[in-house]
Amino acid sequence: MTCTTIPEPFESVYLSDDPLTPVDRQCCSKEVCLFLTEYAERLLGAGATCMRIERNINRMAAVFGKKVEITIMPRHVHMTVWHPGADDIYTYISTVKAAPISYSLNTRLSQLSWNVADDHLTLREAERRFRKIITSDHENPWLTLLLASMANACFCGIFGGDWIAMLIVFIATGAGFNLKQVLASRHVDARVIFFICAFVSAVIGATGYIFPLGDTPAIAVGTSVLYLVPGIPFLNSFNDLLYKHYICAICRFLDALVLTGCLSLGLILAMKIMNVTLF
Amino acid sequence: MLIIDLIKDAVFAAIAAIGFGAISRIPRRAYLWCGLIAAIGHSLRFLLMGPVLGSMNIIVATAIAAFVIGSLAVFVSPFARTPAEAYLFPSLLPMIPGIYAYKSFGGAVMCILGRDPERFDFYFRQFTQNGFIVISILMAMVICATIPIFIFRSRAFRATR
Repeated sequence: MTCTTIPEPFESVYLSDDPLTPVDRQCCSKEVCLFLTEYAERLLGAGATCMRIERNINRMAAVFGKKVEITIMPRHVHMTVWHPGADDIYTYISTVKAAPISYSLNTRLSQLSWNVADDHLTLREAERRFRKIITSDHENPWLTLLLASMANACFCGIFGGDWIAMLIVFIATGAGFNLKQVLASRHVDARVIFFICAFVSAVIGATGYIFPLGDTPAIAVGTSVLYLVPGIPFLNSFNDLLYKHYICAICRFLDALVLTGCLSLGLILAMKIMNVTLF
Repeated sequence: MLIIDLIKDAVFAAIAAIGFGAISRIPRRAYLWCGLIAAIGHSLRFLLMGPVLGSMNIIVATAIAAFVIGSLAVFVSPFARTPAEAYLFPSLLPMIPGIYAYKSFGGAVMCILGRDPERFDFYFRQFTQNGFIVISILMAMVICATIPIFIFRSRAFRATR
């Protein structure tokens, strides 16, 4: 495999800078395996399906002249990389860190795999771009907050709420979602976040009951917590199910179910305290 | 009146989809497509369930709309160079049967907390009947939306090329 020169100085985690190391060491299974495992782990953390992870990994491994077998578990990625016809095999298991779902990261990592395949990037160049992608995944939190609040208010409209109910939901979602952002930045457990945010949003959502506002206060309470519904784990779990990744599918489903349970508990507690009976 | 309701529904669904897209951090260039797919999908279900097209059953209507959403997502994904999955969740969310879920959940809570044993049968029926509808809608929705990704595999996975 030919290697192009690196345009800018870059410290690789996997490759040694030993000048005696031949350039062809880039094709060593160990380094390819370490890179691909971290790539898979990030992609899984960003909310990609098993199908996408496998395809992206195989696409890149083929460019590096390797074969890959991968097991994707909800908390771990287990990968074996070997060189066909050579005594060069490496296995690595890596733990997935909790990360927020990000389709933007998912998109850019998928693009990277195509760049590696189409432009025949070296491992070092691929890793340089990978580091750049994972360190630059930022969103404007205020824009997200505004869009999320508007979205939930529109939901209230879809479910038949009037303008006052929509306004209440807008405020309830804004407060709850902002709290979610703050708690997430302090690395609070996701289950605790879901419980607290559902509670806060539902309490604010119940304003229509406390001060008789509008004609549809029940819809406001019900919709105020919908922004928390963990829809992507649910969808991914069915995607994995169709792709026969049953263990991963069940785990993702359970994960989503636990979060839904936490959000329901928050909602019930709020309704109890505010003396709201929907049922 | 139907036209106004339809447009209102479509606009709400589009704004909701963009907001939920923002929560799952879809790339900005995909916002417009996301809103459009959600508006088409949700209006389609609205029409299918309306009196004009024979008041179709909610489960069948949702399944058809979800399949259309999934197909559109696969078709559109190369234009915005974004994975098709990114469009699915925000577009499907407005179709989640929230009201049925509440009734079912409420029935379950009242089965446990209700003091009147005479009413138990009523609440248990409310829990199971609505629960079945919720599960059927969710399964139909998610599976029908995912199938196009499997059918048009190569297009779906070349989107980010």
